[in-house]
Amino acid sequence: MTLQFLSDILQNLVSGIAVGSTYGLVGLGVVFLWQSINRINFANISSAMISVYLFYSFYTYVNMPVAIALILSIALVALYGLALRYLIYEPITKRGASKLEFVVATLMLTVLMMSVITVIFGGMPKPFPPIFGESGSFIRIGSITLSTIYLYIFVIAGVLIIFLHMLLRKTLVGKLLRATAQNNEAAQLMGINVNLTTSLAFVLATTIVGIAGILLGPIYFVSLELGGGSIGIKGFASAVMGGLIDPYGAILGGILIGLIENFSTLLISSTYKDIISFVILITVLMLKPNGIFNWTTKKGEAGQA
Amino acid sequence: MKKMSRILMIFVTLLLATSLGFAQGQVESAGKGELPDEITIALAAPFTGLGSILGKDISQGANLAVEEINASGGISGSKLKITIYDTKANASVASTVVRKALFEDGVVAIYGPNMSSAVIGVHTMAKDAATPMLVGATSPTFRFTNVGNPYLFRLRADDGVKVAMQIKYAVENLGMKKPAIIYGSTDYCTAALKVAEDAFASYGIDIVAKEQVREGDKDATGQILNMRQAGFDGLIGLTHEPEASIIVTQVKQMGIDVPIIGFSAWGVPSFTDLAGKAAVGVYSVQGFNSSDDDPVVQEFVSRYQDRWGERPSDPAQCYYDGMFVLKAAIEKAGTVEGEALAKALDEVEYMGVQGRMKSDEHHNFTSLSYIAQFDGSEWKIIDKLQ
Repeated sequence: MTLQFLSDILQNLVSGIAVGSTYGLVGLGVVFLWQSINRINFANISSAMISVYLFYSFYTYVNMPVAIALILSIALVALYGLALRYLIYEPITKRGASKLEFVVATLMLTVLMMSVITVIFGGMPKPFPPIFGESGSFIRIGSITLSTIYLYIFVIAGVLIIFLHMLLRKTLVGKLLRATAQNNEAAQLMGINVNLTTSLAFVLATTIVGIAGILLGPIYFVSLELGGGSIGIKGFASAVMGGLIDPYGAILGGILIGLIENFSTLLISSTYKDIISFVILITVLMLKPNGIFNWTTKKGEAGQA
Repeated sequence: MKKMSRILMIFVTLLLATSLGFAQGQVESAGKGELPDEITIALAAPFTGLGSILGKDISQGANLAVEEINASGGISGSKLKITIYDTKANASVASTVVRKALFEDGVVAIYGPNMSSAVIGVHTMAKDAATPMLVGATSPTFRFTNVGNPYLFRLRADDGVKVAMQIKYAVENLGMKKPAIIYGSTDYCTAALKVAEDAFASYGIDIVAKEQVREGDKDATGQILNMRQAGFDGLIGLTHEPEASIIVTQVKQMGIDVPIIGFSAWGVPSFTDLAGKAAVGVYSVQGFNSSDDDPVVQEFVSRYQDRWGERPSDPAQCYYDGMFVLKAAIEKAGTVEGEALAKALDEVEYMGVQGRMKSDEHHNFTSLSYIAQFDGSEWKIIDKLQ
């Protein structure tokens, strides 16, 4: 094994982890919503697309300072979460809807959001404002290079994961959220303010993905691709691979997918990369249907239905 | 009895009305030698979707031409009118909108789709509807010599010509002896790959690596590492713009310094806007270059810039000239009837922005292409070939 080959493996590893962490970042929103209200939001990625377009508009058309534009964009995405709750979740749940109906409704929401963005902004992708350093900037350690945006992603994703993990597992609020998710009626009987926890769940879920969107902007550009491309699906795949239990699982699931993709390309063939990745993912799920990073000790808790 | 006469009255009124309408139409057309008052044209292009979103450029070029034509009296007094159809950069959506344009909306001619993969799926509809279809798409797959569709015309040199030129420059001027090719997955890319393979074979040069990227992929690390392992000394780019920008960015990041030459998708603003600094030094084969100092080109550039506030790109000029080509054909045929119009398109000659346009044996209206290099703000023309 030549030094160059080892160096290539390492470079491929780093890039795979980098791109995989973007998938996992999107998956965080999926896991969090599942853990807090027991629903799968198929419009998960739309929060990312909306935050990116909002930020782009504030920065480019209104000339807002970066910090204000960021805060305002994320705040509006948080409101989007509330709108999601009151305009979609509540009405259909009142009429007896369960998980499947919510999936369908949010699937349609994705289509709606993409159309709205298209009407307002048109279809051409625009470059993301260079707030993370100029585009194309990168760091080099030895012979390994990495775009600097990924460093921001690692750090902020890390913070988000720790925050979410602590929130869900170590705080009272987290306990309330998980209790509501497990059994809504029992939670109410126990005196939990289900109204509050539900709103909190939606707001946090969209906010997380909204933040993810800003980080993904330099990579996916300000484009419809963010909302309609494969990143959304891969976000789900990451969450599922991770077992839908814990935010750590989503990130690790995403990294696994990124690594599979990159190493299929390097070691086998770039033409068959997608097929190989798909086959491996299906196999993993067949062998471990509850996700590979399933830390439950109790059999009943996994991905609570 | 009363009911019967009422029905009879309504029936007769209807009959009169339609026959009057008929007569009206007859009189009007007879006056202009069979040209309708308004000539409707469909423009099917990608305005949204994932991939090459060139709809805005295409419609700007086409609309500028229509405005100029209508302002100077139209075609023998008849005005041109464009209806826009969004193909969403998707071949099945293109199928649906083209079907609507041709069979429901009954247009006189259709421009686009602009994506080769969409054209392949819909061009037979043009034949069925006996309606001319003029496209800027460059895949050699649907050359007249390959598919024999008398209604399909191309307003550009196809990739059989352009990619051959790209490889010629790569070998003879950039001195590539161990080229690597990176290509996308749409027909536009894979057809170009075939042309590139044949071209290198004719020089007796082996391609050391052939890597594929899928549209939407954001990481080409594996592909670039493979090419480096194979010891490549030059890169031939045959992908769409978003992937192109990722590739050049990552090649530069990894400190790989080899000449890079891309095909037509690499020579448009959508690529340089997204790639930024990484695009500097990249070569491309182009169908149009707004820096061409030919006075006719510059005159067009300034008119376009006055109208739209930006310089024209490759597809803008393509469809601009295309509109005038149709005008010349309609005038030559004296009618908008499909079969006669197609025949006229086959024979007509028009002096466009880039010079003579006449349909050749492949039904390409021109074989002009440029080799250019991006210097950070514009594409400097190195060579211009007919």
